[in-house]
Formats: sequence, structure tokens, C-alpha cells
Amino acid sequence: MEPVLTALSAGTSVDVLIAALFGSAFGLVFGAIPGLTFTMALALVLPITFALQPTAAIAMLLSTYIGGASGGTVAAILIGVPGTPSSAASVADGHALTRAGKASLTIATATIVSTLGGLFSLVIMLFAVNLLAQVALSFGPAEIFALVIFGMSTICGLAERSMVRGMIGGALGLMAMTIGQDPIDGVPRMTFGSVQLLQGIDLLVAMIGLFAIPQVVETLAGHRAGHQMKIDTSSIKVQLPTLRFLFSYRWNILRSSLLGTIVGAIPGTGGPIAAFLAYSQEKRLAKHPETWGKGDMGGVIAPETANNAVTGGAMIPMLGLGIPGDPATAIILGGFLIHGIQPGPLLFTERPDVIYTVYFLFALSYVLVTILQLLGVRLFVQALRVPHQILALIISVMCVVGSFSIRNSFFDVGAMIVIGFFGYVLQKCRIPLTPILLGLVLGPTMEREFRTAMIMSEGSLSIFSQSPTALVFFGFALLIVAFHVVGSIRSRSAGEARPA
Amino acid sequence: MRVASIKTVMLAASALAVSGHTPARAEFPEKPIEMTVLFGGSAQTIGQVLADQMSKQLGSPVVAVSRPGGGGAIGYSYVKDTAPDGYNIVWNSNSISTVHYQGNLPFGYDAFQPIARIGMEVPVVAVRSQSGWDSLQDMVEKVKATGRPLKVGISGLGSFTHLTAAALFDKLGMKVVYIPYGEGRAPAELLAGRIDVAAQWPSQFVPHVQSGALKVLCQTGAKKTAGPIDTPTCAEAGAEGLDVTMWRGLAAPANTPPEVIAKLEAAAKAATDSEEFKKAAHNLGFTPAFLPASEFGQQIESDDSTIASLMDQLGLKNQ
Repeated sequence: MEPVLTALSAGTSVDVLIAALFGSAFGLVFGAIPGLTFTMALALVLPITFALQPTAAIAMLLSTYIGGASGGTVAAILIGVPGTPSSAASVADGHALTRAGKASLTIATATIVSTLGGLFSLVIMLFAVNLLAQVALSFGPAEIFALVIFGMSTICGLAERSMVRGMIGGALGLMAMTIGQDPIDGVPRMTFGSVQLLQGIDLLVAMIGLFAIPQVVETLAGHRAGHQMKIDTSSIKVQLPTLRFLFSYRWNILRSSLLGTIVGAIPGTGGPIAAFLAYSQEKRLAKHPETWGKGDMGGVIAPETANNAVTGGAMIPMLGLGIPGDPATAIILGGFLIHGIQPGPLLFTERPDVIYTVYFLFALSYVLVTILQLLGVRLFVQALRVPHQILALIISVMCVVGSFSIRNSFFDVGAMIVIGFFGYVLQKCRIPLTPILLGLVLGPTMEREFRTAMIMSEGSLSIFSQSPTALVFFGFALLIVAFHVVGSIRSRSAGEARPA
Repeated sequence: MRVASIKTVMLAASALAVSGHTPARAEFPEKPIEMTVLFGGSAQTIGQVLADQMSKQLGSPVVAVSRPGGGGAIGYSYVKDTAPDGYNIVWNSNSISTVHYQGNLPFGYDAFQPIARIGMEVPVVAVRSQSGWDSLQDMVEKVKATGRPLKVGISGLGSFTHLTAAALFDKLGMKVVYIPYGEGRAPAELLAGRIDVAAQWPSQFVPHVQSGALKVLCQTGAKKTAGPIDTPTCAEAGAEGLDVTMWRGLAAPANTPPEVIAKLEAAAKAATDSEEFKKAAHNLGFTPAFLPASEFGQQIESDDSTIASLMDQLGLKNQ
């Protein structure tokens, strides 16, 4: 009990609260702006924490991380451009709901389920940190590769009408990620001798281009032609979800939280994979999967719950083993070390007060982020009052700034624009853009893990068949594809039978 | 529509103007200095601590900007192409030599002017405590008896940890498979038992050496460095004459004026000597070892030829 009390008293002092409030707001802003990410926010906040006392420093780092993980939603729902890759899965339904005049309800719901997902992962961390750290360790290159293949199978759920078009999109995404220095041998691929291309296509650059540019072009072209894309702005009012409404999604929330926590704990995966997996899982289990992608609240709840449950999951190997699973937790780890806190198994036995402080600050950050976002909803929805052609211009400026700031490179701004117009053309060919993003997100991990596994096994594919975990995920992937193919054949034959 | 497009152009132009303009030089520094950081992890964190301390010394912000990728090639190329005025410096390391000889950077260390060496990092070699190997020599004998290759986890093919491990196991005459995990994942793979050995930076092993799960067999420098883990040198442990050490320091594009270099060097020295830097370095497992510009330049030059011959000998040299 004593370490808990120490944690509570350390975590409720004024400087800690100020640090957490600052971090939450800073993270939210970085998460919300496409191109700015929580990794960048953390890198910027880290030097500030050098001067703080350890508890305040941890508070600022955790709240920045959590704010950043939550902030991407607003842009995805409101303007249809995800602030972070983790919220890309929420765009289809979230933005459709905004067009139907339910922006505030959707944002508020997403905020609340994000918090539920985050707090769920905290509870798991409280009770099963050691178990999950061991699960995380059991995922080697072969297992992660299998998980990524399982992730790719979600293209079935994302390809709106035609599975073939979805697969074309996925393949294009995978191909784009082969540009640059290959991740294993360092051999330049498709760089045509250019040093700029050596760094490859950045995922965020491509994401901004794909989601924002086609929309900007459509809006401006529509404006010129005299069409006014109308969102009912007269009735924009702040509407919060009722408890009964949220309760009706309880299983969705629980399943997505669990999925997010586990995926978060596995190194080299993270928010986007968790969000896409949760989306396709819940779509399959939904009573009316045909409404998904057209504005179903379930399609926002699943990915948003999962991508925030990832935050607690990702903390598990960082705290329990001292091993960061992604660049963001690596920066948090650096912040801990600077203040003389060495995460790892010994921290749990020797400094339980530090562990409880971390748990408390984690929960506190979620509370603050939720309050800030719910207060902000009123403000966010005002963006919809801005005429669309003006909003499109603001979005394009943000895209330029965002794509530049990722790697401080003007080359990336050019790449964003080129990819964006390419995306516009593909959209005109009715090739859905979300599978392209999935290819972009999963491509590098898929290649790296496959090749690392092959190096480990000295070229033998048996490394995959000898791993039960890998076989389970390959099996899931096969099942999903089979399920989808059978389903589409059935609906086609049913469709042919009816008119006859 | 026409008005709208003009507005976009103007906004883009003003964005360009803000980032691209260079005022006439008076007293250096009169604007923020950008310190390009090439890698993530503890290298980035210690770079940020250094930038923070140098800002206090210079009275003008030193901003650590991350330009990762290509084993350092992206950041080096960026800084090389900036004006040699001291406003763009790079948090560099032996990677300038490795990435050059690997064939991914058309220029070498002489494209830069050394400012100061800040510190040293010595890779260590770790195994599981339950491996049954008590020392480097013990491991060599037992593994050679089985005839199977040793699986060694490194940061990436051609990375400094790869070079270190290759030099070590080449000396010991062992059959090795190198598994490139990228930054920071090799310790987890070692814990999980998917590899036999990990060659990484000492700070990455600290929690597991403390908990007793892993043990460090040796450090690769010729002289024993007082790092976070007490361990003999590999030379003492049986790999005679092995000496691979990484330095980290600061450099500016070639032809940066000497008075600007001198100012930066003085700020770097004061920053490295500060209590805050020493404390952070200790916590992060980084060994401060300041060296002024001229001596640092000599070290870069001699290390460059050592790395070139080592990579050539190991078949890693492409340029």
C-alpha cells in the first residue's frame, strides 16, 4: 500500500499536473495535424523534461505520448485526413458521419472509447505486465511476419466493392515502400542514383498525399464547377454520446481493447496494424456489415479503441524489459534513463513506487486528454463552418508544412504532391486508397521480418512452419480470404438469380 | 479560382522565404544552429542533452534535428550541402567511414571539418546467463566443438556493431551468421533465445545484466572503459589485439571559418564539462571523452584507414 500512497502524493503535486496538462495539449496538437506525430512531439518535449523533477518529467512524456495517440482522430473524422496512420482506419466511417451532420457526436464518442481503450490497457498492464512481456518476447521475426500477413488480409474488409481493386491498391502500397535503401543489405533500390530517394518514401508523406490531395482537388474542382458540397452546418451542436449508446457497443470496445493491448506489446507493430485489425474484426462480427464504410459508428469505435489500447501495450516491454518497441517508446525510455530510472524487471521489485507513479500518471494523462478533447469538440466542429474551398486551401498549406517537417526535407513535399495526384487518378479508376495505405504501413515490416527470419534459418522456410504462433496467424489470414471469397461468390450468384 | 491559386503560391513562397533566408553575418551565432542527428535511441538522447547544454553556452539555441536513414547517409548528405557557416553541424560518429566504404555515400570524412570529439562508446558482446558459457574463450571452445555456426544479433549489416562483431569473430576464427535487427532489438531476441550472442551498446544490456538474465563477455576496446557494466576487454579475454571503439563528436561542412569552429569547439567543451551533461551521460551509459578539433581530426583520419582495411578484409567494402 505504501508505494501506492507515495505514487499518489508524488503524482498530485502542482508541477506534475502542469507538466501533464502541457504534455496533453502539446501531444493533442501534434497528433491532430497530419504529418506531425507523437514521436516528433516527444523529441521536442524531451529536452524540456531534463530540467524537471523526475515525476513531472515522466508526467510530461506520458501525457505527450497519450495526447499524440489520441489527437489523430479529430482530423480523420472532421476533414477526412488522418492526423496519424493509426487513425487512418477511422476515416471511412468517421468522415461519412461528419457529412451526415454527426461530427460532434462522432468525435466525442471516439474520444471516450479511446480513453476506455487506453485505461483497459492500463488494467492489463497492472495485472499481467510480466505475462505480456513474455508474450512480446515470444514474437520473433517469423511470428511478426505471420502477424503482418494476417494484417494484410484485412484488405478484404477494406476493399469496398471489388477485391481485385483492393489487392491492386495493396500491391501498389507494397511496391512504393521498396523504393530507397533496402532495410537489410543497404542496397539502393529504384533510386536512380539520387541520394534523396535513398531515404525512400516516408509513410506519413504518402499518407498525407493520398488522403488530402484527392480531396483538395475534388473540392476545388467542384467549387469551380459551381457545386457546393454541403454539410449541414446550421445544426452543428455539441452532442455527447449517452451511456446507453456506448453500452450498446460494449463487446466491440472490449474486443478491440484486448486486441490493441496485445498488438501494442509486440515489437515492430503498433497503432495502425491494431486499428485495421480491429476494424476488420468488428466489421465481420457486425450485424449490418453492409453499412460499414458508409458511416457506421462501430467503424470508428473499433479502430479508435484499439489504437489507444496500443499505448498501454507498448509500455509493457518498455517498462518490463527496458526494451522499446518503437521510436516513440525509445524516446520515453531515454527520458526515464536521463532521470536515473532504469526500466526493466528490477524496477518492479526495487522501485514499486516508480511503477505505481507511472500507472497513476498514465491514467491521469488519459483523464486530462479526454477533458481537453471534449472541451475542444465545440471548437473543432466550427471548422465545418469554413467554406469548403477555403478549408481545402488551409488543408493544402498544412500538408506542405506537415510533409516538410517529418524529415525536414523539401523533397518530401514534392513526393507528397506527386503521390497525392497519383492517388487522385487511382480514385478515379475506383481503386480504393485505404488498401494502398495498408500496403505502405505493413510493407517495410513485412519485408524486414521475412528477410530476417530467412537469414536466421539460413534460407529455410521451415522457420515459419515450425512456429505454432506463425501457423495460427497464417491460418487466420487464409480463413478470412476464404470467407470473403465464398461470401462474394454467394452474393453474386444471389444477385444474378434475382432478376432472372 | 484565380485568386485562390495566387494565394496558394504566395503562401508557399513565404514558407520558402522563412526557411531559406540567410542574413549577413555579424557575431557568430546570431541565429539558431541546427545539429543534425543521424540515429535514434540513446545516440539521439545524448545529442539532445549536448545541444541543450551548448545552447546555454552560446546564448543562442542549438536545435537537434533528426535526419535519420541510410545508415547516416541522409543526414551527412544534408549537412554537406549546407553553407559552411557553422549554422549546420552534424552529431557524427565513425559511421561517416562505415557508410562511405559500404558504398552508400559518395564522399568521406574529408567533406567535413571536425569541431570536437564528445565521447566514446564501446560495443560489448553478451550471451544468456543460462548459455553455459563462462567466458569468451569457453564459448569459442564449446561452439567450435559442436561445429554449428554461432547466431549473432547486430544492429544492421554494415553497422558499427556488425563491424565490431565481424572483427572479433574473425580473430577467433568462428563460423558466424549475422542477424540484422535494426536498432535496439537484438537484446530482446537474445533474451528470447532466438540468437546465441548479441553485439550491442552496453546501456542496452544494463537491466538484464542486473536481473541476471544476461551476461556480458567482453568489451571491444583495447583499453578497459569504465562503462555501466564491468567486463574485461576482448583482447584480455582471448581475441588478441582487438580494438574497436566508436567515437561521437561534432563536425561542420568543410571550409567552415576557423573562428566559427573555435567558438563551437569552446561551447562543446564547456557543455561536455558541465555537471548536467556528465550526469545524463552516466545515466545513459555514454562515456564523455572530449578531444579538441585538431586531435579529433587526426583520430578520424587514422580510424578511417583502420575501418577501410577492416571492411576490406571482411568483404564489406564496396568503395
